[in-house]
Amino acid sequence: MSKNLSELSGRKGIEESLFDKMGQLAQERGTPSVEELDQLADEFLIGKANTFGTATFYDFLKPENQGKRAYVCNGTACVCAGTQDKVTKQLEKHLQPSEIGHMTCLGRCHENAAFNYNGKNFSGKALENLDQIIGKETELNSDTYHVKSGANEILTNPFSEVDQYYAPFIDALTKDSKSVLEEIKISNVRGRGGAGFPMGLKLEFCRNTENATKFIICNADEGDPGAYSDRYLLEQRPHSVLFGMLIAGYVTHASYGILYIRAEYPESIQIVQDAIDALKEKGLIGRNIQGTEFSFEFKIIQAQGSYICGEETALINSIEGQRPEVRVRPPFPAQQGLFNKPTIVNNVETLAALHHIISNGGSAWKAIGTERSSGTKLVSLDSFFNKPGIYEVDMGTPLATVFNEFGGGFKSEVKAVQIGGPLGGLVPAHKIDALTLDFESFANEGFLLGHASVVCVPQDFPIIQFIEHLFDFASYESCGKCFPCRLGTKRGQEMASQAMNSDYKIDRELFHDLLTTLEEGSLCAHGGGIPLPVRNALEYFDDELKQYFNS
Amino acid sequence: MKTAYINNEPHEIKDGETMLAFIKRFKGEKHVPTLCDAPNLDPFGACRVCSVAVALEEDGKTKTMASCHSPVAEGQYIYTDTASVKKLRKNIVELVLTDHPLDCLTCEVNGNCELQDVAAQVGIRDVRYPAGANHLHYTKDMSHPYMTSDLSKCINCYRCVRACDEVQGEFVLSMSGRGFDSKIIKGSDNTFMDSDCVSCGACAQACPTSAISDVFQSKSVVESEVTRTICTYCGVGCNLDVSTSSGEILSIQAPYDAEVNQGHTCLKGRYAFKFYDHPERLDSPMIKRNGTFEKVSWEEVYTYIADKLGTFKKEFGPDSIAGISSARCTNEENYLMQKFIRAVIGTNNIDGCARVCHSPTALGMQQTFGTGAATNSIDDLKDTNCIMVIGANPTDAHPVTGAKLKQFAMKTGNVSIVIDPRRTEIARYATHHIPLRPGTNVAVLNMMMYYIITEGLADESFIGSRTEGFDEYKKEILAIDLDQIEGICGVDRNIIKEAAIAYAAAPNAMSFHGLGVTEHSQGTFTVMQIADLALLTGNIGRRGVGVNPLRGQNNVQGSADMGVQPHQGAGYMDITKPEVNLQYNKFYGVEVPSAIGYKIPEMFDAALEGKLKALWVIGEDIVQTDPNTQKVIKALNNTDLVIVQELFMTETAKQADVVLPGASFLEKSGTFTNGERRVQAVRQVVEPVVGAKVDGQIIVDIMNKMGYAQPDYDAKSMLDEINQIVPFFAGITWDRLGKNGLQWPVAKDGTDTQILHKEEFKIGKGQFIFNNWRETEELVEHAKDYPYILTTNRELEHYNCGAMTRRTGNELILKDDYLMINPEDAKEHMIKDGEFVCIESPRGKVDVKARITDEVKSGILSTTFHFPDIMINNLTGDIHDSEAKCPEYKVVAVRIRKSKGKYKTLAEA
Repeated sequence: MSKNLSELSGRKGIEESLFDKMGQLAQERGTPSVEELDQLADEFLIGKANTFGTATFYDFLKPENQGKRAYVCNGTACVCAGTQDKVTKQLEKHLQPSEIGHMTCLGRCHENAAFNYNGKNFSGKALENLDQIIGKETELNSDTYHVKSGANEILTNPFSEVDQYYAPFIDALTKDSKSVLEEIKISNVRGRGGAGFPMGLKLEFCRNTENATKFIICNADEGDPGAYSDRYLLEQRPHSVLFGMLIAGYVTHASYGILYIRAEYPESIQIVQDAIDALKEKGLIGRNIQGTEFSFEFKIIQAQGSYICGEETALINSIEGQRPEVRVRPPFPAQQGLFNKPTIVNNVETLAALHHIISNGGSAWKAIGTERSSGTKLVSLDSFFNKPGIYEVDMGTPLATVFNEFGGGFKSEVKAVQIGGPLGGLVPAHKIDALTLDFESFANEGFLLGHASVVCVPQDFPIIQFIEHLFDFASYESCGKCFPCRLGTKRGQEMASQAMNSDYKIDRELFHDLLTTLEEGSLCAHGGGIPLPVRNALEYFDDELKQYFNS
Repeated sequence: MKTAYINNEPHEIKDGETMLAFIKRFKGEKHVPTLCDAPNLDPFGACRVCSVAVALEEDGKTKTMASCHSPVAEGQYIYTDTASVKKLRKNIVELVLTDHPLDCLTCEVNGNCELQDVAAQVGIRDVRYPAGANHLHYTKDMSHPYMTSDLSKCINCYRCVRACDEVQGEFVLSMSGRGFDSKIIKGSDNTFMDSDCVSCGACAQACPTSAISDVFQSKSVVESEVTRTICTYCGVGCNLDVSTSSGEILSIQAPYDAEVNQGHTCLKGRYAFKFYDHPERLDSPMIKRNGTFEKVSWEEVYTYIADKLGTFKKEFGPDSIAGISSARCTNEENYLMQKFIRAVIGTNNIDGCARVCHSPTALGMQQTFGTGAATNSIDDLKDTNCIMVIGANPTDAHPVTGAKLKQFAMKTGNVSIVIDPRRTEIARYATHHIPLRPGTNVAVLNMMMYYIITEGLADESFIGSRTEGFDEYKKEILAIDLDQIEGICGVDRNIIKEAAIAYAAAPNAMSFHGLGVTEHSQGTFTVMQIADLALLTGNIGRRGVGVNPLRGQNNVQGSADMGVQPHQGAGYMDITKPEVNLQYNKFYGVEVPSAIGYKIPEMFDAALEGKLKALWVIGEDIVQTDPNTQKVIKALNNTDLVIVQELFMTETAKQADVVLPGASFLEKSGTFTNGERRVQAVRQVVEPVVGAKVDGQIIVDIMNKMGYAQPDYDAKSMLDEINQIVPFFAGITWDRLGKNGLQWPVAKDGTDTQILHKEEFKIGKGQFIFNNWRETEELVEHAKDYPYILTTNRELEHYNCGAMTRRTGNELILKDDYLMINPEDAKEHMIKDGEFVCIESPRGKVDVKARITDEVKSGILSTTFHFPDIMINNLTGDIHDSEAKCPEYKVVAVRIRKSKGKYKTLAEA
């Protein structure tokens, strides 16, 4: 975090984004050249080390990415499904090994065997048709998954058409923005990204910070392996997200909306851009929308491959073209965020909820779900379910109902499910019945609702390997700023790996010290969160794990 | 009173303070360990070692928080050493040690390593983790004359990166890669030498281990003594902590408690000190006989000088003798030198280096405000909204102030205006840059005032209550010819208008100016316009405003304060006034002369006319640095006795008849006065090298030899003499100077002054005095035949004639003067980068290597004069500021062509 770099990057505004320019420079060869980075540094007055430092942080900008043509998904769902060795082998029949890289979760957890080739994502049976994919223009990148809602069809409600859909927005523009914000507060909609912070409070915080320039950022960096509900919304309901951002802008007096969408979702980027263009055509964005004082523009920033960018301050640094290292708080983004200006960062699904709230009033949303967890929630189920897909259920719905009635039960026996991404809890099969789908139930049982993605751990998958995979992921994706996470995740991975592959026994006290150090010492929820599933594993799978530990 | 608790003890909290700052205030610096926090950097939150347990009630449920970036709040209970917090710290440090070479005994910082201290404090006894990946294989970077790195010792605390960003603003350092693989980089992962590093050393000072250090190992030297003194280079006046052992200087660090430089300094202050015991130091007095210097004893040389001066005084009168003193001397030495010239010789022929730099500042500001010195302090940057930098390149010439200005300019809410022909470093970051043609300052400033008046932005109430002459002035300003000005300055009037409005509209605006203002034929007038601009907008007399000359040399302010000027005695008193001289007569015990003496250029003219018989020059290389080199040499050759008191055999010393080996700043005590009127104590660090003497003592010896009883040189007693005669030094005593000095005027009770002209000006009201722009005679006469304008500048690495810096590692960083030339002009003359360009002026020719850059506009060239092999001043001419006689270094009519380097050296010229 450098205040100076935020200022200097901000001088050119979001339209001339430093980070965007780096992405464009990488398009041809997979990485910008040092000369190009030096030039950018000069243009932005930020020093060569900074453009170089930023580029080397990202999977799709760093020099090692040069010449990569295909990427094999190594997200948790695909790893657990055991499909990926085959994907690599098949691809190697067509491509040099050096041309094949990795992407962590393409959001194809319902089909697995996922890979990215030439800017498109493939999964499931596509692998059998590589002849029609490699070196060809193809439409084989489509996928199918179930989508269904429970009692309340809100986020999954079919899209009508632009004019009708945005009528509540036009209507809101005629109202005092304070009263619009009031509805959001009444709804008690909580952030869907994982932390569950009340959205209305955050918006109010930003609204009350005086500044001529403010930003609304949609965090569409759905990095949690196993989660693809944001992808669903971006690709199937893009207007619900844009609508939410317009409302958020209106109530905070922000005039810029930025969608930070992960590069692993190339289709999402295109679809959202088309939706923005449609709004432009209809005069629903731009200067003085519908003759009011309110102006709003959208900009998509394509991420470049880094899980930590889902953390809001890292995401802000990323947009600025700084290294996406987590910032200290305070200042909070709502006070000093992008380019040091007040900034709202909200998850895709949170923003998508606003259409219902604005159309039907905050109390309509509040009436759904539980007392403290209001509204509906999207759940993504992976391919271990008979009916993998995206399900919209009321908060408080029993987890067993989601799994059995919506997901159609497991295809084969699973020993645990990890819910809420790699930092989410590891729920052993026997605890499923104890949980209802809301923030409180999960917290009370020692788990985490998170983004409500579900990844199954099959019966034959060794838990020590699962732990090693979690640490490996955490270490690989650590921004490296705070000592506990940078060093601790690596040491955790090494211990698990050595225990798994040699007669090394993990010292139990040391291991617990490590987990406590990560939990208490880490700067953000990345290092701070990884101990949760590991502790769950230690608690529920002690029999299986004790052979790897001394005493 | 708001209260929070540390281990259940109540303490008052300050608004906005972090828990760590709160704890430090009551429990001391080291009570809570930390690795990534540093005194001059923003909280960063990387190491987490400073974690504390925080509860909302006494012994309540605690949450672990990093104290460095968590604000303390009322009613919090902070526990600094609970079992869990202690364990957490220990476990974090244990993790650090899994990727750190445990070679403490042979490590550069052994015994002075923050990691070592913290490891000891948290009680690490072993590292329990199995062997794993590490970065111990990183190799050292020894590419640079000063900076070194050994990243195997790096703990990724980012202190170096942050120092480079937040302190110096250079952005040379960052991190590459991510997570466990992240690694400190210089530039695009280069060596220090190949990066854009400016060698300020802030990173080395910030590093808690030996990952980044310097060749002097300044963090870790085992010194027997540390002496705090003041830098000898620029007018910023950095405080330096000089470490010595057995009389040898080991290294220099910047103290964090220095008000001037807050733990920062530049490569000159920090690293360029090795000239002091360079083998080329003069080690004996010498008399030139039959064209060769012969070493003689001090006794012999004193007798020789005293006899000669006595004879000249008797035969040709006192006015046949002149003295030039300089910023190489302390205030006390400058005072002595002018006293010698006035009281012992009996002439006012005393002048100093201020003549060639800021004499127009002193004169211009005296005319408008009554006092010829900075109105405010650099610290006021914290309270200003707008800076206007005119004719100054502070990031090179005043690096620590330059870094502060750059930090200011980088913040988008701030307004920064740069008026400079070159796109300097600060101009690149500025909100407004006016790239005017050299020699058109007055025109542009008048145009700014025109727009301020016509836009209704003049501060009528300030003008009404505190100034005089505005009505007439306004009439003149409104009558200026905008078309003409736009034409001659070469800048779109709208750019000037926007800048003018920005300056006038800012609640507080500060101006800073340098030699690009003064070294012009209209230098004094430009200073007056800058001062009037401040009057016009009411930017005088409070914090965050004012007119702030960036005084060039360390003690150029002091030398003038002490009376090293031919028209004013010590304390700026007019020596033509009998009542003033009565005071001096009484004080010096002799009758002082009342006729204005020679300014430096007039000394040369007098020499050429045969009127000057003797000239004593202390610490100023007039041959290399004064304009029109050949004329200066002729003048010296025409003077019977030229005494040069120096450290080295400079170009001037070579022309001398007598050479006296003086002392460097590290070898003497006294005071220097920086650009913000701050008188600071220079404390002797080492004895003068064998054969050399403290300059003040040399003057005293000759005074005595010539029959004037003057006690031996001693800073303390000299100050006690000065504070009786210089009114604004009234309260300055050696003992009161303390660590951070005092800003004059200092009242008898020791109260000093940060801001001048708060209630009224020394002359009552501020004066509006209009002057119209006039083309310099240099161009009127020569522009037709010499179509390019050569201007001169400074480089960060070298200081003035380079006598000191060329004898340090700086020489390895910048080896040559070079010529900045616009790509268009280079193309027209088929000059490639690095090729020699022959520059010819009406005075002479030199060859300089080209550096093609768009930093200068087409038609404008710029170069330095740090190197005697080039002798740029062969080109500069005789035009001087019409009022203060400061030479016009900034506008030289030249023509250019590609060359083979024939005119490279003086000998060949």
